[in-house]
Amino acid sequence: MTLLDVKNLVQHFPIGRGKAVQAVNGVDFTVDAGETLALVGESGSGKTTIGRCVLGLIQPTGGSILFRGEPMGGRRTVRSPELRGRMQLVFQEPAESLDPRIVVGRTIGEPMAALGASRADREKAVLLAAQRVGLPERLLGSYPAELSMGLQQRVGIARAIVSRPELIVLDEPTSALDPSARAEIIDLLIRLQKELGTAYLFISHDLSTVRYLSHRVAVLYLGSIVEQGPAAELFAAPRHPYSVGLLASVLLPNPELRRESTIRLEGEIPSPIDLPPGCPLEGRCPLAIDRCRQMPPAEAVAPGHEVRCWRHEEVARMEKAVDYFERFQSEAERILTPAPEKREEEWAS
Amino acid sequence: MTVLSWLGQRLLFVAPQLVGILFVSFLLVKLIPGDPAVLMLGPFATPDGLARLRAELGLDRTVVEQFLIYLGNVLQGDLGTSWQTTMPVTSDLAQRFPATLELVTLGLLVALAIGLPLGVAGARYKRGLLRTGADYYGLLAGALPDFWLGLVLIYVFYTMLGWAPAPLGRIDFAVIPPEPVTGALLIDSAIAGNWQAFRSAAGHLVLPVLTLGLINAGPILKMTQATTERMLDSDFSRYAELCGLPRKVVVRQALRNALPSVITIVSVLYGFLLGGAVLVEIVFSWGGAGQYAVQGVLNADLNPVLGFVLYSAVLSLFIYLIVDLLYFLIDPRTR
Amino acid sequence: MSNTVLEVERLDVEFPTYGQAPARAVRGLDLTIGEREIVGLVGESGSGKTALARAIMQLVPPPGRIAGGRVRFEGQDLSTLDEEQLRALRGRAMSMVIANPRSELNPLLTVGEQIGNVLKYHLGLKGKELRERVLEMLREVRIPDPERRYAAWPHELSGGMAQRVVMAIALICNPRLVISDDATSGLDVTVQAQVLELLKRLAERHRTAMLFITRDIGITAHFCDRVAIIYGGEIMEIASRDRFFANPMHPYSVLLLAAFSHNPKLRSYWLKEGEAASEAQPAETGCPFATRCVRVREHCRSVHPELRELEAGHLVRCHYPVERRA
Repeated sequence: MTLLDVKNLVQHFPIGRGKAVQAVNGVDFTVDAGETLALVGESGSGKTTIGRCVLGLIQPTGGSILFRGEPMGGRRTVRSPELRGRMQLVFQEPAESLDPRIVVGRTIGEPMAALGASRADREKAVLLAAQRVGLPERLLGSYPAELSMGLQQRVGIARAIVSRPELIVLDEPTSALDPSARAEIIDLLIRLQKELGTAYLFISHDLSTVRYLSHRVAVLYLGSIVEQGPAAELFAAPRHPYSVGLLASVLLPNPELRRESTIRLEGEIPSPIDLPPGCPLEGRCPLAIDRCRQMPPAEAVAPGHEVRCWRHEEVARMEKAVDYFERFQSEAERILTPAPEKREEEWAS
Repeated sequence: MTVLSWLGQRLLFVAPQLVGILFVSFLLVKLIPGDPAVLMLGPFATPDGLARLRAELGLDRTVVEQFLIYLGNVLQGDLGTSWQTTMPVTSDLAQRFPATLELVTLGLLVALAIGLPLGVAGARYKRGLLRTGADYYGLLAGALPDFWLGLVLIYVFYTMLGWAPAPLGRIDFAVIPPEPVTGALLIDSAIAGNWQAFRSAAGHLVLPVLTLGLINAGPILKMTQATTERMLDSDFSRYAELCGLPRKVVVRQALRNALPSVITIVSVLYGFLLGGAVLVEIVFSWGGAGQYAVQGVLNADLNPVLGFVLYSAVLSLFIYLIVDLLYFLIDPRTR
Repeated sequence: MSNTVLEVERLDVEFPTYGQAPARAVRGLDLTIGEREIVGLVGESGSGKTALARAIMQLVPPPGRIAGGRVRFEGQDLSTLDEEQLRALRGRAMSMVIANPRSELNPLLTVGEQIGNVLKYHLGLKGKELRERVLEMLREVRIPDPERRYAAWPHELSGGMAQRVVMAIALICNPRLVISDDATSGLDVTVQAQVLELLKRLAERHRTAMLFITRDIGITAHFCDRVAIIYGGEIMEIASRDRFFANPMHPYSVLLLAAFSHNPKLRSYWLKEGEAASEAQPAETGCPFATRCVRVREHCRSVHPELRELEAGHLVRCHYPVERRA
């Protein structure tokens, strides 16, 4: 069932002299109940702006956002009272998203307080949420600065789940963390989704995490979704040159596994001010032709797999369909499966 | 943005700023108790005479009307007359304002000459005698009142040692002052080639300038030291060291990054000292603008006060303009 | 190894902590880097990797200090050199590429001046010759429109461009060793890939050895000749890249790789399902990793393991290294 339906979302930020930062330029996607959609892109792709629009933190310039079929937004009354507590957000920098002068137990309970829950209900909900995210009860009286980044992010997640939302926007929740803490948080998010059936809008640029966590993936470039589809399919057979470039940049921990590609992106992401019409990748794309000065339509190449590229058939011909993440898994299995541990006496020999 | 278009934009705002400052000070001055008419005519004035004088001075009109009249006069270059000196305020200030400017400018130059190197040295060597000395100096300069230091200097260098001339004005009575051009005696006597006057004026400047310099070096030192230290601890200084740039160069680059803060504190001190040096002026019988304004306040002589405010405001705005221009030159991020 | 560029021997770096024994950021660390070799050093925050980098440069930020051991650079013990001699080495014979270059570049100097300064103070170049060398270097790090970028200010550069400028500064004197400290971590993925490839190519062309410090074990698989894993200020495992990724033996190395696995069973075995194991501090006695290790035994908590050579060139600091079925 469709939980969130975003249609033709546009967000422009005027910066004076008739110019505007064109952060989001007509984006369509849906999120079903209980599923994870990843918004993948680099800085300036508009992924964070989309998250903010969905949450009603900023008023979109154009387009519509439906949550359970009901329109969000309208001037000022950004979020209707019925929707309160049904959507939550987890921030990128845990330290900055927590009030340093409030003990974390109270921070976690704040959404409940905003919903007008009684004190007893609130305390119960806080304890349950803390338990779910693996935050020891004794830490509820600590201040954020006393906790490590990983624990701070657990607090952020507890705060997000305390009101039992149907959708959580995860804005790069792990990018500030060390790899092992990151893995723990990812596992926690997956477990929570299984237990609570929450849908995630997962904003990230970390593709190996995306591949593991997401059901579907939307690739963003300069405020447009250039390709979206089921995670496994998109990672195995990317059809947009930008997706190809993105996947070729992923460095898996195995010297043999890296997407070999003839499609190489040159240069850097241009500024999102005064974008020319047409395909946003046109200036960097080795396959660009004259036609690319017009915006290509979203074309379905497989069920649920759409791509916005005039030359996606070319891309399909040039690229081998290999999911390196999948190939890595068999190797990982070999490395991670230990031989039965020897007893103490055997080691001595 | 080019410097010129930016400068043009800035200048556009100068006029309204000045009118605003003038209006506020006009209101404030009007709040000072005391009727100028009573003070001018003395204890034997008749009510009739008072009323006539009030009408003559425009005191019977509303404050806004009075302000508009005053403003009209100012635009014609007429700042009114001081009833104490019976001279036009413009000619009084033409004589006194340069005296204060000369004193304050030289005082701040001395303060910079002391504060800047000491501050940099203190930031560079975080331990040792120099740093301790700089810290104590900063503390002392902040604690001592300037007029007291002035009195001590007079006592030591004039009364005891007899090295300094008597603290009675800007030049010996016996020396003929040079023809006023800028109003600053040093410059004017240099222009006139009158070296006797130059020596005498310089001699009279030494103690008051030293007083202002020694005291105001304190905040400059503190600011220089704190900012330079922060810049030396910053990522780019560490990186410069990792690149093997000589320590000297690293410190110089840090100082350059600290300079905007130093310029800010100097400009603030400058604006403040135009009126704030009044105690030092009194101690040395300087006859400067601050003294003139204070006399005006005490005797409900409004025109000198407003004239002083206007001059100071113009000068302060000019200084801030220069400061912004300096930021503009130093820091590319402001362009 | 034919020629070593860098030898770190039993290096200790300490940071005094108030009222307690000093924190030992680097503990008796040994590391050798050969000529033109790229060694990847993988560690998480607090592992001592940055302290090691600074100690090699002989610039541990105070109040930290080198408490023991020595660093030899091209056979020369750096502790015997005076400050002026060290300065002459830094930025010339051994240089650094740092993370977050936009805050590390001086905001008040143009790109050309910052690159040129290194040439000026190390090689005494000036004028037209200096400018030509800088422009040549800008072209070498593939900065488009070098003439214009020469006069650009740091705040006008994108992250990727600033990273290239820092690489130009590091390489312009043809150093023997470049230390890269988490240099590409702030960049977008496609830019990171470009920058890494460029760095590798430049290291080859300039015949430079490199110590590549990173949090991301994935980078080292594609970029380095040898891989070392650091935890609690000690090397846990070190081997040639191919050996390491084919047969990682230290439980911590395996844990870092487990983060890339999609197999929930294996993941939860290594990552201790449901626990915030990464929060544990390195142990003071015994094996530093004992507090986090899923395979920890009694012995590990009391006896400090030595770095042992288990295969040729493959050293592991573990009493019970991970074994696999053949």
